[in-house]
Amino acid sequence: MIQMQAFYVFLGVAGLLAAVFVYTIASTRRARDLDYHTAYALRRKLLYVLLAVLVVGLGMTLAKTPYPRDKDIPEQVVFVVGKQFSFGISASPITNDDEYLAATYSTPVQVGAGSFVEFRVTSFDVNHGFSVYDPEGHLIAQTQAMPGYVNRLRLRLTQPGRYRVLCLELCGSGHHRMRGVFDVK
Amino acid sequence: MASNAVVLFDESEMIRFRRMTVIWGITALVLLPILALLGYFMRLFQSGAFPQIRPEWFYAVLTLHSLGMVGTWFVGAMAGVSFLLLKYTRPSLAVSKFSFWGTLLGVVLLIVCTLGGLFGTGWYFLYPLPLMSQGVWQPWATLTFFIALAILGVCWTVWTLDILRSIAQRYSLRAALGLNYVFGEPGPEVPPLVLITTVSLIVGVAGFVAAVIVIALFAARALGVNVDPLLMKNLTFFFGHILVNITMYLGVAMVYELLPTYAGRPWKTNRVVAIAWDAVLFLILFAYFHHLYMDFAQPQWVQRFGQICSYGLAVPAGVVSIFGTLALVYAARMRWTLASTLLFLGIMGWGIGGIAAVIDSTVEVNSHFHNTLWVPAHFHTYYLMGVVLMILGFIDHAGKEISGLEENPRRSKLTVILLLIGGYGFLSMFFWAGAHSVPRRYAIYPLEVAQGTEYARIAVLFITVLLLGVLLYLWETGRRCLKALSA
Amino acid sequence: MRRDSSVKPPRSRTMRPGLVVFVLALAALAQAQQSFGVPSNQPPNEDFYVYKQIPDVAIETGASTAMRLSKIWSEKPLLLTMVFTRCAGVCSAFLRSLRAAVLDAQGLGQDYRIVVLSFDPRDTTDDMEMVAESLGVKLDPNWIFAISSAAGIRQVAAASGFWFQWDPSAQQYDHPSLVEAIDHGRVVRMLAGTNVPRASLREVIQELRGRFVPSYALAGKVAFRCFEYDPNRDAYRLDWGLLFMLLPATSAVLAVVWAFFLHRESPPKPYDSSSALIR
Repeated sequence: MIQMQAFYVFLGVAGLLAAVFVYTIASTRRARDLDYHTAYALRRKLLYVLLAVLVVGLGMTLAKTPYPRDKDIPEQVVFVVGKQFSFGISASPITNDDEYLAATYSTPVQVGAGSFVEFRVTSFDVNHGFSVYDPEGHLIAQTQAMPGYVNRLRLRLTQPGRYRVLCLELCGSGHHRMRGVFDVK
Repeated sequence: MASNAVVLFDESEMIRFRRMTVIWGITALVLLPILALLGYFMRLFQSGAFPQIRPEWFYAVLTLHSLGMVGTWFVGAMAGVSFLLLKYTRPSLAVSKFSFWGTLLGVVLLIVCTLGGLFGTGWYFLYPLPLMSQGVWQPWATLTFFIALAILGVCWTVWTLDILRSIAQRYSLRAALGLNYVFGEPGPEVPPLVLITTVSLIVGVAGFVAAVIVIALFAARALGVNVDPLLMKNLTFFFGHILVNITMYLGVAMVYELLPTYAGRPWKTNRVVAIAWDAVLFLILFAYFHHLYMDFAQPQWVQRFGQICSYGLAVPAGVVSIFGTLALVYAARMRWTLASTLLFLGIMGWGIGGIAAVIDSTVEVNSHFHNTLWVPAHFHTYYLMGVVLMILGFIDHAGKEISGLEENPRRSKLTVILLLIGGYGFLSMFFWAGAHSVPRRYAIYPLEVAQGTEYARIAVLFITVLLLGVLLYLWETGRRCLKALSA
Repeated sequence: MRRDSSVKPPRSRTMRPGLVVFVLALAALAQAQQSFGVPSNQPPNEDFYVYKQIPDVAIETGASTAMRLSKIWSEKPLLLTMVFTRCAGVCSAFLRSLRAAVLDAQGLGQDYRIVVLSFDPRDTTDDMEMVAESLGVKLDPNWIFAISSAAGIRQVAAASGFWFQWDPSAQQYDHPSLVEAIDHGRVVRMLAGTNVPRASLREVIQELRGRFVPSYALAGKVAFRCFEYDPNRDAYRLDWGLLFMLLPATSAVLAVVWAFFLHRESPPKPYDSSSALIR
């Protein structure tokens, strides 16, 4: 899971930094003059290492975005409207409040397992965060639901089961109970 | 005394300035425990401790805690920097006082609209939420909120401009931006404090103007103009990102200025330092794009540019400021006092928070971390364990210098240990929860993310330890500050 | 879409009543056959048809008598539009705006081709060739003018939200205008309206080329965007939003000018450390 990978990278680098700080504190027990020459040389090395890490990081990640460039055509489109305080999710377009309410209370939309699906997400009032949680409770993708705009989120969901949608943008007092649901079969 | 030289202050002015600084320090020390207790309340709420309290209270407290902390540490950093600048420039005492009263008024109004009116939009009041409360807060609360913001904005902008003016009296623009060092030309010696403050406050003006535009556009919406929500989001995060970052940079500036006296070594501006901070001046204007990765409506080149600039900011911070701190202290005849320890450890916290931030500023990672608890994890790290420690270190330093009261080394050590264990323990629960998909800003964790409740319970234990450390600090340093008032 | 109201229906005084009834019944039957779908004041909504499969119907062009749509879309994506040759209304204007937008967006032949399909069973391939000629694309192999059977037409119309209604008083069809982008037989975009805006078609062609457009704005009056699309001039113009985004940095520059050039005494007086009052 990408979250755990990122967490361990963080733990590693932060731990390294903390260790260097602790080492530096300990070094003050045996005080001596600073050799500036060595320090500047070390700093230059640090600069190169850091630049290398950042450039590699950029190279590995800059191309991967949730706004994909692949030419696959989605097999299915699912329409999502966020409104205080639930997500209306439907296989047909949601153009007004009645359709939104119907989508909120109807049986969950079915998405084919392994199929390429496009979510078209908007909001009827404030900013919401359309965030997809897989059956195991992991956050796998998200996009903002912004009034006046439709964001297109494309996913290929292979694991069958019930997927939950939580709202991840503070939208009022009901923010934590705002949900949506769809099934992958 | 050379005939051209200017005496910056006479004795009585200096005393009055010191007093004002102590008053600012005391204000921060009064706000700290109050706002921290609000945070304690929030984590307790999330752990399920208050099932009988309506969630509206959580969101109102969230708004007050977050805005309060952002404001407190901004004014703390400004007060600290303007005190340390007294050695080089002549900021205006009148402006400092004006900002003080304006800040107090703004804080009072914020308390009224949140605790009194249940205004609960979170600190960045994202459009159009303030105007669409579903009846939870009334229009008067929204109006009070914006009036509070306007008062704070005006005072802080005036204060920012005054400090810039005071630097300009003594340093040309070329000097203040360290360009003499960059191009290897002769010029006056420019302390890093002046360079960093100049860079931060120039950017700060841009941030405050963005906030003014946001408030004006909210007024337009209230009058019926349907303002583009994407524009509002850009302006809001531009302002917020800048305000938070310059607070930290001003804290770092204080470390550049103060830590050398404890280490017995100098820390001067040179070519590398100047290049680093001039780079920051540019990069920080565009890094804010990393707040909008999940807004697919932003042009894609803007998203990528945001990631590049966010990554880029790690270089001046890591190679110059953090390495510089370490080199300053390494094997130095270091006077470890409460102040110097906090200043030193504050840089470490700033760095660790920065690492988490750079990771989250990767677009692909952001898909999984955006608006989860990873976000408060990283900013509490570089705030609570970063700039807050730096400012607390400064307050202790100034308090000690002015009052002359010595410290108790064992109590200081205990304070630091409690702060570190409590602080990093509390933070670790945020990071762990973020890595486990727990959303941020949830009053109650639903079944899908029930693990959030468990993590909150553990966090509460650590906050208790943290608060003990804070209380111990307040007891020590607070007494020093009160004594300094009458000095 | 409004037809020419000066055309009047024919009349005859010599027909006997029975024959009249029979002819009228036939006419009514013919009208029912020649209309399809539910007329509406709104153009078809793309959202209802996106990613749906277009039926692989048999078509006829001047060059070949029997071909299927899939033969065309299997080689390259296509833009499909439906017209009829006796149209005195919007069809020719729509086709002309489509041609202009295609010239502007470029890529015709490399990235996509165009199928102009008649929904009128009376149209022949010769009729369609004349339309091609009047549009000036008769010799362009990437513009394919085709007819189909009545059943084929209805299938394609149903999958596209297209409708047509015969108006006997004007001897014209009432119908919407649309062009849809079809990739591997599936509708990926649809532009419906009286003309084809160039910027919209450019975006559609982008998607056909495989470049994904991750978000779009909804129609509606929104103030202070960064760029506002003006459909009349078919161009983007800078809007207030961009000014608001540039204002903060500009203000910072002005503040620097004020502090460092306008306000301060020049030149800055040097600082004498011997008079320092704080250590």
